[in-house]
Amino acid sequence: MPDSILIEPVMEAPLHPTDRARLRAENLRVAYGPKEVLKGVSLDIPANQVTAIIGPSGCGKSTFLKCFNRIHELSGPAKVTGRIELDGRDLMAMREVELRRRVGMVFQKPNPFPKSIYDNVAFGPRLFGVRGRSDLDGAVEDGLRKAALWDEVKDRLADSAQGLSGGQQQRLCIARALAVQPEVLLMDEPCSALDPIATARIEELLFDLKRELTIVIVTHNMQQAARASDRTAFLWLGELVEEGPTETIFTNPGKPMTEDYITGRFG
Amino acid sequence: MSRSFPKSFSSRPRLPLSLWADRGAGTLFLISTLVLVALIFSLIGFLAWRGAGAFIALPGNTDRVLSLREVFLGLDWSPTQDRFGVLPFIFGSFTVVGLSIALAGPLGVLTAVFVTQIAPRWMRAVMRQAMDLLVGIPSVVYGIFGLATLLPFLGDRWLDGQPSAGFLASALILTVMIVPTIVSLSMDAFEALPRSLDEGARALGSTTWQSIASVLIPAAWPRLVTAVVLGMGRAIGEAMAIQMVIGNNPQWISLMRDLTDRTPLLRFLFTPASTLTTELVQELPNTAAHSAWNNVLFALGLLLYLLTMGSILLTRRLSRRRA
Amino acid sequence: MKKLDLRPRLSARIMDGAMKVALWAVALGFIAALLVVMGAILKQGWPVLNWGFLSKMPETLDAGGGVRPQLFNSIYLVALSLAGSLPIGIGAGIYMAEYAKEGRLTGFFRLCVETLSATPSIVLALFGLMVFVQALDWSFSIRSGACALAMLNIPILTRVTELSLRGVPQEMKEASYGLGATKLQTILRVLLPAAAPGLLTGTVLAAGRAFGESAVLVFTAGTNTSMTYPDFSLKAPGETLAVHLWYVVSDGTLPDAREIAAGTAAVMVLVLLVMNIVVRLLDRRLKRHAR
Repeated sequence: MPDSILIEPVMEAPLHPTDRARLRAENLRVAYGPKEVLKGVSLDIPANQVTAIIGPSGCGKSTFLKCFNRIHELSGPAKVTGRIELDGRDLMAMREVELRRRVGMVFQKPNPFPKSIYDNVAFGPRLFGVRGRSDLDGAVEDGLRKAALWDEVKDRLADSAQGLSGGQQQRLCIARALAVQPEVLLMDEPCSALDPIATARIEELLFDLKRELTIVIVTHNMQQAARASDRTAFLWLGELVEEGPTETIFTNPGKPMTEDYITGRFG
Repeated sequence: MSRSFPKSFSSRPRLPLSLWADRGAGTLFLISTLVLVALIFSLIGFLAWRGAGAFIALPGNTDRVLSLREVFLGLDWSPTQDRFGVLPFIFGSFTVVGLSIALAGPLGVLTAVFVTQIAPRWMRAVMRQAMDLLVGIPSVVYGIFGLATLLPFLGDRWLDGQPSAGFLASALILTVMIVPTIVSLSMDAFEALPRSLDEGARALGSTTWQSIASVLIPAAWPRLVTAVVLGMGRAIGEAMAIQMVIGNNPQWISLMRDLTDRTPLLRFLFTPASTLTTELVQELPNTAAHSAWNNVLFALGLLLYLLTMGSILLTRRLSRRRA
Repeated sequence: MKKLDLRPRLSARIMDGAMKVALWAVALGFIAALLVVMGAILKQGWPVLNWGFLSKMPETLDAGGGVRPQLFNSIYLVALSLAGSLPIGIGAGIYMAEYAKEGRLTGFFRLCVETLSATPSIVLALFGLMVFVQALDWSFSIRSGACALAMLNIPILTRVTELSLRGVPQEMKEASYGLGATKLQTILRVLLPAAAPGLLTGTVLAAGRAFGESAVLVFTAGTNTSMTYPDFSLKAPGETLAVHLWYVVSDGTLPDAREIAAGTAAVMVLVLLVMNIVVRLLDRRLKRHAR
């Protein structure tokens, strides 16, 4: 690695035909201490589609999602075996900072920083050395527009982000994640803290966003998965039970367990 | 439930007696609290009374009445020659506290960052233990350490073995004494932050330090300031340890001017000096009650008390603004 | 949309690494400071420490004195001050946790506790001198010292009591009331036993602080000791170890002042180490017991 220059070279991201998997997990096992959370999950996640991951709480769906940008490493030392790929490259071998730039994440509860709206969205670009005023302005506007928040906040960019409503805060977090121009967006139950109207707005967003992005969304809300996703994967006790096109999963599931779960006859 | 429930539960029906006891106990507890309140007020009252004696003719005074001006704007402290300027002590206190806060503030906050964000679990336990011990060491023990170990070391290093009592030694000792306070309050500040802030920053590609510097520290800022102000309050009141290493020289301002064979920095760091607290320890036992000299010393005590009160009110104001 | 040049900066990575190293250095620096202070104190005091030092009376002019009465006074004063401050401190703590309703008055009480606990010990010393030594004419004595020391302990104990009581799970309280217990019965039979671990460690900590206190005692218990041993008289002068350490050094008439001070400091550090270990064991045992 030529450390003599101050900017690290990045592998040029190869072009991706939409039919190829952008993210792939192969026999992925994750254990915190003696507790195995994921027990060998294999799943291909295609580009420019919304993939929903459903399953009862504690099934490992959140951990599974977090593995794709390795944010799970923050919750303590985890033992990960198997393989996770981003565009065919081993994700565990990538530098986490670069990985997380390319694979953004939105959390369960909106977590805006206690800063202005502008500084929240500009946070990411600044991390990666964007300093020019016009570049930053552009990135902020771009992020906010894509998150359908621009019109609501364009006149008060200097206001504190804490003053926004819950739904606005969550869209701000989406804008913040989009401002670093990621290729994948991971969403961990992004609407669980929101009211139905705010939820609907976010679901609408997914349709627009998937033109540019690959989206993986964890949800416990069956209707949301049915409405907003193209593909659905059902996880149970750390194992993948079934995955496929959302329509198939919801109308004609291959396993009785899946049917039990989506029809609410579970546990 | 796995928690054991205290045994010996009385199943007697409520008797009037127990109700009386109930009411009586409530009064008793209230009285305890009122005792505490009374202590505070008599403390303020007595200090104000004796301190005021320096400036107002009170029965029992044995000396002349001083003016506020000559005391609080005076630079010359020579009680035997009827000169009672206390500015050297005020400047001395501010200098020592300023120096030690300049060291202990950043170090304390950074240590708290380390313990809460970076240290592995075992190191966290070690740091907690170390801070407990540092805060438990009595101030006279710090004092004798300063006198027997730190002063000779500083003297050998910078002054060719000459006496090295003064601001530097005092500030170093004081730093070690107040850092545990700042660390533990700053740790509370960081632990009160939601984990999602760090996660949010890291998910955007922050390094650990970028998350700390640009999200966590700004978010915890008001509480960090409170921590440092409380540390400052402790530092202002510390007496014995500093008294043993500062050199106790009320004339330090003129001496600092006269020590021309040293560089200004060395003069500043190593001139024997005095502070509000050290002066009290040093001279109070030698003065006759109700003399002007004695009264001024009580006025210094009152000033000291007002300064710590001020730091508490300041932290309250800070935490209210946060809420 | 403009494609930004978003690449991880090597400078960020270098900064990250450098700061991690710096933070480790700061932390290790404090551990080193602790070890240096403790080490220097124990090393200098070790040659002096022996049974004779602990069991001999002090000398006034000659070398070779011991600290027997000071050791006794330290323990006696801590015990007396705790006897005085425990009822008030715990009582006030119970009031604050269980009786006081949130409001102006309670806010004011809390301010008083906070203020008293932040009062510099030299200011408490002035108060003790004015009130106990001079106004009540108790002179420099055990009783003056014990009262002044109690003032130092009260706010600590109040706060510890309040915090430990608030730490008791709500369900326990509700269960007790549900069985028809009165408030006092609930406090005495449920809350205090459940809060005992916190109270006990808090008390040991207060004792530790009182044991090491010097400024307050210089002006209340005085810098002399009774020449009879053991002297339980409340009117006797009561120089403690901490005061003795300070006094021999600043008075300077003893030829072996430094040695005496070093020995005394070592004794104090050892006592505090023992107390620290006791707190830790107590804490662990009581917590296990409560589980």
